[in-house]
Amino acid sequence: MQNCAKKLEFEFDNSTNALIASLQHMLEYITGIIPTDTDSEDILFRCKVIITELLTNAIKHAGENTTLFDIEADARRLVIRKTDHGAPLYLVDIHNHTAADQPANKKLISADPLNSLYAHWESENSIRFISEESSIDDFTSVEQVMEHFGILIISRSADEFTYTYHKKDKSNVFKVRIDL
Amino acid sequence: MINVIKEGPKYIVSEVSITEANLSNSDQFKAELISLLDQHHKIIILDLQELKYVDSAFLGALVSSLKYAISLQLDIVLVGLRTDIKDLIKLIRLDKVFKIYNYADDALFAINKD
Repeated sequence: MQNCAKKLEFEFDNSTNALIASLQHMLEYITGIIPTDTDSEDILFRCKVIITELLTNAIKHAGENTTLFDIEADARRLVIRKTDHGAPLYLVDIHNHTAADQPANKKLISADPLNSLYAHWESENSIRFISEESSIDDFTSVEQVMEHFGILIISRSADEFTYTYHKKDKSNVFKVRIDL
Repeated sequence: MINVIKEGPKYIVSEVSITEANLSNSDQFKAELISLLDQHHKIIILDLQELKYVDSAFLGALVSSLKYAISLQLDIVLVGLRTDIKDLIKLIRLDKVFKIYNYADDALFAINKD
């Protein structure tokens, strides 16, 4: 773990036992760096749910290696990055198999009566996630509701949420930006 | 993990005794909830006031259990949610799926009215 003036680097061992302490450590850092004139309650809530899901994702997908978190902030934005060397996100392979009725750089990856989640390819190995609320407010079929919420939660809490696979060092980088 | 604290003709009131609900215990949570539905065949009023931390795995288990309850023509009603957990549920619009009340008595009143 290494602290700089406006940057925190934190190594997570991908263990469930370290989950809560890791979350608290990163939130304490963020509490200390966000400007006083921002809505800190809202920012901290968003950071909490985002970091929670990034930690959960690390436990599920990063394998035996550790996961690096870094948090940077200036007066205008807060950036949270998660880097690991596990298997690439499955969406990287899907890019070349997009259905003919969808734009080549945008794909619907999940949808239910409540929410839709899209992947937008910024480049061959870089994806921006976009979530939209569905317009149906009253529905009766709970069966249609999805059961996987991790990417949706992050996407909805962030001002920008991207994933990049770096072929050179085989690293996966999730990057979340929150405007202050 | 889930304790029954009260039982009526149409419902059981249960409380979740853990403070952290995440992917390490979400499968067990779902199994206990489904077991309660199978055993009692009643609406479950689930008091979550002890919960301080939840993640998407727990929310997925909750939705999956609700689907099972609905298939039995039953329901799972949530009470005692902390503000930040309620905000998370609203963020992904699960407040459109679950009936949510502040207290178990509020849920009981609504159930008994039906």
